[in-house]
This record gives sequence, structure tokens and C-alpha cells, in this order.
Amino acid sequence: MSVLDRKLHRELRGHAGMLLAVTSIIAVGVACMVTLASSYRNLSEAKKLYYAQCQMADFSIELKKVPLSELDQIAAWPEVAAIRPRIQQYVAVDLEGVSEPLNGLALSLPDRRQPVIDDIAVRQGGYFTDRRDNEVIVNEAFARYHRLRPGQWIKLILNNQQQELFVVGTSISSEFVYLLGAGTITPDPKRFGVFYLKQSFAEEVFDFKGSANQVLGRLSAAARGNPKEVLRRAEQRLSDYGVFTTTPLEDQMSNKFLSQEIKGLESFAVVTPTMFLAVAALVLNVLLTRIAQQQRTVIGTLKALGYSDMQVFWHFLKFGLSVGATGGLIGCALGWWMASGMTRIYQSFFQFPELENRFHWSIHLTGLGVSAGCAVLGCFRGSKAVLKLRPAAAMRPNPPRSGKTVVLERIGWLWKALSTRWRMVLRNLLRNRLRTLAGIFGAAMGGSVLVNGFMMEKSTQYFLDFQFEKVLRSDYDLLFKDERGREALDEAAKLPGVDRAEPMLDVSCTFSNGSYRKKGSITGLLAHAQLTVPRDLDGRPVRIPAHGLAMTRIMAEHLHLKVGDRVIIEPIKGEKIARTAPVVEIADSYLGTAVYAEIHYLSRLVGEEFAVSGVQVLGDGNPRHREAFFREIKQMPALQSIAGRKDMVRTLQETLLDNQRVIIDIILLFSGIVFFGSILNSSLVSLAERQRELATLRVLGYGPWEIGGLLFRESAITTLIGTILGMPLGYLLTRVTAAAYASDMFRFPIITTADIWLWTLAYAAVFALLTQLAVQRAVHKMDWLDALKVQE
Amino acid sequence: MASHPVGNSNHHLLRMENVGKVFQMGEVAVEALRNVTLEVRDGEFLVMVGPSGSGKTTILNLIGGLDGVSSGRLWFRDRDLTAFTPGELTRYRRDTVGFVFQFYNLVPNLTAYENVLVSTELSREPMDPLEALRLVELDERLDHFPSQMSGGEQQRVSIARAIAKNPALLLCDEPTGALDFETGKRVLRLLLDLNERLGKTVLLITHNSAIAQVADRVVRLRSGQVVEVHDNPRPLPPEEVVW
Repeated sequence: MSVLDRKLHRELRGHAGMLLAVTSIIAVGVACMVTLASSYRNLSEAKKLYYAQCQMADFSIELKKVPLSELDQIAAWPEVAAIRPRIQQYVAVDLEGVSEPLNGLALSLPDRRQPVIDDIAVRQGGYFTDRRDNEVIVNEAFARYHRLRPGQWIKLILNNQQQELFVVGTSISSEFVYLLGAGTITPDPKRFGVFYLKQSFAEEVFDFKGSANQVLGRLSAAARGNPKEVLRRAEQRLSDYGVFTTTPLEDQMSNKFLSQEIKGLESFAVVTPTMFLAVAALVLNVLLTRIAQQQRTVIGTLKALGYSDMQVFWHFLKFGLSVGATGGLIGCALGWWMASGMTRIYQSFFQFPELENRFHWSIHLTGLGVSAGCAVLGCFRGSKAVLKLRPAAAMRPNPPRSGKTVVLERIGWLWKALSTRWRMVLRNLLRNRLRTLAGIFGAAMGGSVLVNGFMMEKSTQYFLDFQFEKVLRSDYDLLFKDERGREALDEAAKLPGVDRAEPMLDVSCTFSNGSYRKKGSITGLLAHAQLTVPRDLDGRPVRIPAHGLAMTRIMAEHLHLKVGDRVIIEPIKGEKIARTAPVVEIADSYLGTAVYAEIHYLSRLVGEEFAVSGVQVLGDGNPRHREAFFREIKQMPALQSIAGRKDMVRTLQETLLDNQRVIIDIILLFSGIVFFGSILNSSLVSLAERQRELATLRVLGYGPWEIGGLLFRESAITTLIGTILGMPLGYLLTRVTAAAYASDMFRFPIITTADIWLWTLAYAAVFALLTQLAVQRAVHKMDWLDALKVQE
Repeated sequence: MASHPVGNSNHHLLRMENVGKVFQMGEVAVEALRNVTLEVRDGEFLVMVGPSGSGKTTILNLIGGLDGVSSGRLWFRDRDLTAFTPGELTRYRRDTVGFVFQFYNLVPNLTAYENVLVSTELSREPMDPLEALRLVELDERLDHFPSQMSGGEQQRVSIARAIAKNPALLLCDEPTGALDFETGKRVLRLLLDLNERLGKTVLLITHNSAIAQVADRVVRLRSGQVVEVHDNPRPLPPEEVVW
């Protein structure tokens, strides 16, 4: 080790406190980068592999029933690489020992194993055998939750008949990475499963001989960029067979959730670390400027001895690089560990054959490179000023700083009103602009991260409350296979334990306004429905008009509609006669793109007197009644599925809120580190720079707490200003987050309540006070008699 | 006032010609040197005396390549120092000059041995650092940090550091200024020995006129100008000097 390296080594140890502050900020920045970038790569690589493995469909077309022969022509289109007709039906599952009715989706698969579009990956057991017709492969998550194993029998209600099926295996598939039941937004393996049946058996039991109700397809490489055109033509071609929906891959539910998450990770892998690393660079800058100033004489002497500027600069650079490398290494390790955590969270949401936290060399090297770069940037300014000096000048003591008045002194009345201590504090802050700015910037970043965390928490709570307490208020939604009449409502109202039952009519249709078109559905409700209450942003109920539509804002924006405009509605089922309806109200929703109408009005719009596609019920809360309710529901042949709002909220809370809690704890920790690091650094640098001045104050009778108090006033001012500036930044950051994750299915409400700001200030204050403890320790340890001695 | 041209240019190691130096202190320009012409002869022990502010340190810094002239020329042997690039100046300082500072300028977090090493690591033909420390009789205190040594000891480390790289010219800025009388005399003896035994040219500046008695030649400065140069035919040994 060269002797200068030994000097460096000792200096690093000598500045341990300050370096810890900078190192931890760098570590946090790198950790964020490594975590987010690794998670991004883990997810996107797993997705790519899995999609290729299962031959993920580029599109799907859902229709009433189409003879297979009709599909040949589409299969022959040059844009279409391959198609696969499939039968899909919602089914009810009756598991022994489970009182509540469970839902599932039955899908057909070839009787014999062959690679198909939207293939499965068998996890346990095997594929269908020739031994029985009624074999079933169950999706892994459902099977695991209910402890279903190959060799067991399960009961499904298929086409109104209870069938016993023999489980041959469990599986996963790329189309259900994020498996959602009807009307839910988080996977619920307890209540929703996928059941693969033999093609021949499905044709038999669902009465689909030689026909299908879903077409999956893969596009040629050339057409992959524009699936909508192919789908438009396919829809035209198949219009006689009742096309309900055409879904390009980008709109496929599971893919959409997964891709959105990947997209979010991609952007935040840049934004968040940049914030932390910018603070680190600035803080390091302040620190190294201080160290270089402190070492003016040493630098001058080294140069006098014949060291070149490059050698001295390299020596300083190594100082920064050591800090950067240490921070980078800690950050990489921490990031690796957190990425494992993130991947575990994703494993609970997303079903992949293999989703593991891989070690991505390039990310870790980038992390190290970025941290080193940020350290070099921090070093540059610090050493530049001193290096520029001729050795003779460097060895002369630093010329006294300009003693000019600061801006505030020009406001005479204000300045006069201040005590001497405040004047000292303010002069010091205004004369050391870079340090003050670094302190403010650090606090601003810390504050903005805090605001972001608190706002996210608030948003989620608000979202759950708005959507599941205020808008959707039923306990259970019963959805029928086909539209029914008034008797369905009466039947539901008489179910045990039902306090209230309200009819619902869901009409899938295409909305159009000039060139703007969008598929969706209209939900028909009673004029004074209490179990679904559309609301505006302020939570006020939006009236369901007797004539016309109440449309959610996002749908209206898609279609460029405003209140008073008319929209063309073309139902997908039934008579399919296009009609126009006025937009009478605009409602707000954070979930889906609902459009509401009065149920009688809607019935007439589709040519019926009074049609019901589902019933919402509110229970009396008696658990015994609930058991009876479940028993009866299971006997209802017309029932397609049942969605439990409370179950959904519980699942949401378990997954969404719990995971968010962890993330918010990490945010608190990280912002704490940023506050701690930047305040500690500013205060210690200030203390070191003003040793003589502060020692003189000690002689004059100031106690260590009073000296600490002076430093605390400085950090309190920078922290307060920074935190206040950080608040709008945090708000912006949340808006960007919300925009990154916004989709038709789900939007983040932006909630700003006073307590967000108050909590942010409170946390900033706590962090500042905790940091002050460390500063105070340094003040107590300061050898003020030594500081008073004449220095060269 | 005109300065005195001195010496015999055939043997000069260093020559200043009409050198001026102006420092810009904020808005005020301070003229530290005016028209200084001066020679340093090879192998001599030259003492420059003058009150503080007379420009001694400025001359030393210019000769040592630590600072640049504002006007005039400065020759080392036949090379014009004023035309040197920063890189050439660095090499000059590295290979030719050894500095001894009034306040020692040791690197605080390096030991005595390492402080010498800091200079020998750079040099092409250095002395063994241990040998340098033995010359200043500090070979017993190799592992002490500057803060663990007395002023005299620190100054001796500083001298060891200066001579260890075998420079042709030893520049000493008030080397006894921060030391007590006895220690100061020991340091002077050391410098004289180095001059006599190793043949190093020594340029020592001081405000203490008594020290001039040990010199081969004495230059007196006042207000940035050379006011007197005289040869000292019979230098006193440091032990006999009193101040």
C-alpha cells in the first residue's frame, strides 16, 4: 500500500461518522435501483420465457357459439399464424367441507397431449389419460389452497348438472399469471379456480359438438404490431355467431396486470434511485469540499514535494470512490435482499413456473458504476478548488470568508428583532449556500418520499372505502348464466338471511361517439338502488337517471363525451339494434369503466320489459343464516357465479394493504436515512469548519447544549424548508406513480388530507431530533481547548 | 531603488532577474517583490534575512516552483523556470528541491517514517527513508505520529523528508522559527552538516539576524527588495551563535 493510500485509509476511519451518513444514502439509492431493476428483470424475463413456453395467445375472441368449420378461413389469413378454438364456461365448484359456493372457469384442452396455444405447464400428476372421460386438471393455486391432489375426485356443476371429476394433475398457464375471478381485482385462489376438461368431454357436457365459444390465436410476426385490425376483420367475419368480445393480448386481463407492474418497475427503477443518488452526490460534495479545505496545507505540501495535480486529485478521488464503492456494495447486497422480498411478494400475486430472484450481473455492475459515478461527481467540485491553487497559496491559511452582510440584514426591522444566536445561525446558513442547499435538497427528497408513502397508504384506504363501502355495498352479487325475469329477484329476496335484494342487468355493448369506440357494458340498477351507489369524486351519490346514462368519467373521457351528449349503444347480445342514449350524469370510479342506467330503461333499450342478469343481496349478518344461504345458492341451477364483496375486501386487505405496509415501512426507513445522512453531514461539517468560533463561544460561557442548539437551529431551518418544498414534490411523485399504474381496470385516487402533511412534518422533526443526538455527541466530544490553539 | 547584482554567474545554481510579484487580495493588489535580482551559488549556505513582510517567503516559493512570478525571469541552471508548464514545475519540485517549512507541514495522520516515505516514493534516486531519519537522529521514533512529537522532532522529520529525495537545493523557511533556542541550534547544525557533508545547496530564510552568522553568504531584504548582499568569510558554527 502506498503511503498516500495509508493516509487515505486513516482519513476514512477518521471521518467515519460523516462517511456513514453519505455511504448510507448511496447504499439506499443503489439498493432501490438494484431492487427495482432486478424485480423488473425477474418479472419481464419470467414473463417472456413463460409466454413462449405456453405459446401465449396474441388475441382471443369470445362468442356465443361458432362451428369449427367457420374458423378455417380465419386460420388461413396470412396475418394469423395459428388459431385454437376452445370451450370455456363458468362453473360452480362444490367442495366437501366448504360451505360457501366457489366459482371456477372450465376450459377445454385436447384429449391427448399436444402443444397448443395457451398451453398448460403440468405441476403435479400428469395430463389426461385414456382411462376416463371425466378427468380434470386443476390450476395449481386452487388445488394447493384446497389440498387437492391427483387421484382425488371433485364435484363441479357443469351445465346445471353436478359432475364428479377425477383429478389427474395440477397445472399453471401463462394466460393466468394473474388469475382473477369475475368482478375481482386481486387473485383469490380460495374462491376461484380453473378446471381443464378433455375436449371431447367438454363438447359433450356443454353441448358444443363441433363448435366452440372462444377462439385463441397467434399472429404472424408482421401482424403482431397491429392485432386490432385482424380482430376487427375477424369480428366482422364471425358476426353471425354472437361475438361478445375481442381481446388483443395487451387487453388480456392477466397480461395487463403483469405488464402494468413491469412498466411501473421500469420507470421507478430510474426515478427513485436518482433522487437518493442526487442527494448523496450533493452531500458528498459538501463533505469533500470540507475535507479538501481542511487539508489545504497537506495538499500544498504534497504539491511542494513534487506530487502532480493528477496524483493529488486521484488521491481525493479514491476517497470518493471508496465511499461510493462501499455504498454501492452495501446497496447491491441490500438491493439483492430486497429484490428477493419483492419477488416473494410477486410470487404471491403472480403464478409463474419459475419466478426467482436471479443475480443480474449487469444490474449490480451498473449499481456500482452509478454509485462510483455519483461519488466522483461529489469529489470533483470538492477537490477542484484546492487543486487549482498554486502550492504556495494552498499552504497559506484559507483567506477569511467574505464578511459581507447577508440578504436578511437588509430587512432592518426583522434583523433587529432577531437574537444574536439567530443572527449567527442565519448568517452561517446564508454564507454557506452549497451546504444549506444540500441540506434543503436532502430534506426535500426525504420529505417527498414520505409524502409519497403516506399518500399511497391514504389512496389505498380511500380506494377501498370508496369502492367497497360507498359504491359497491352488497354482501354478495349473484350472477346468472342468462338473463331472467322478475322471478329471479323474488327468488333471491327469499333466500335465508337476505335483508335486501336488488336487481341488476348487465348489458355488454359497444359505445361509439363519432370515431371514438369502446367496448364495455351498461349496468342497469333500480333508480334508488342502495347496494350499488354511483358517486362523484366528493363521495356524493350520483342519481341514476330515469332516462339516459350515468357514465364514469374515464369512459366519458375515452369517448370524448360530456353531460348532454348522446352516445350510440350497440348491444353485443340479443337483438343488437343500435340505439342512442343521452349522457345525463358523470360518476367517478377507481375501478373499471362502469356505465349505469335505470334497469327498466335499460331493459327497454334492449327490447325487454324487465330483465335481470344478476341480483345483489345484503345479508343480515347472522352466520347461521349465511350457511343456509350458501346451501340454497348451491342448488340454484341458473347461477353462474357469486362474488362476495366482503371476501374481496378481506383479500384485498390481506394482499394489497399488507404488502403496502411493508413498502411504506421501507420508505420510512429510507427517508429516515436520507434525513439523517444529510442533516448529520451538514451539522458535522459546520461543526468542523467552525471549531474555533464555537470553541470561543465555549470560553465565553456557552455550554455544549447551547452550542448544539446553534447547530440544531441551522438544521431545523434547512429541514423545515426542505420538507415543505418536498411536499409538492411528493405530491407530484404520487401523481406520476398513479399515472404509471392507471388503467381502465384500476386507477389510484389522489388523496390529499391535512394529516399527510402533518405526519410528514412530524416524521421530519423526529428524524431531525434523532440526528441532533448524534451531533450533540460530537459537540460533547469536541476538544475545544485544542481547537483554540493557533493553527498553521 | 536598484537591487544589487551579485555573484559570479559561472557557478550559479539559480538566478533571479528583475523578479516582481504581486498578490491580488480581493480588490487590493499587494506588491510583495519589486525588481529582485539574485543568484544562488552551487553548494553554498545562503541565508536570507529580513523582517516579516519583506518578501523572504515569496522568494523561497518562487525558487521552489510553488508560485509563479508576476514579472522578470527565474533561471535554474540554464533553464527558465518562468516558462515551465505546470507539469515541468511538478517534476522540478519532485527532483530538484527539498522544502523545510516553519510549521513543518507534516501530514498529520502519517507516522514519521511514512512522512518521509511520502517524498521518497516520488523520487528517482531517493535515500533510504530510514537513513534519512538516522541522519536527523530520529530512527528511534519511526512510528510516532506528528502529534506525538515535539516541535524540534517534527522539524527534524521535515528535514529528513526534504533530504531523503536527494534534492540539489534545500529550501528552508524559518526552520528554527517555531523552536526553542537549543533545539533551533541542533536543527541549524543538521542543515550545516548536510551542506558540508552531502554538498547540498541550502537557502535558509529567517527574520533572525543572528542566524546569518552561520551562512557563507547573506542577503538582506526589506519591503520586497534586496538591500544588501555580503559574503561571510568566516561563518560561525551554530553552537557559538547566540540569539
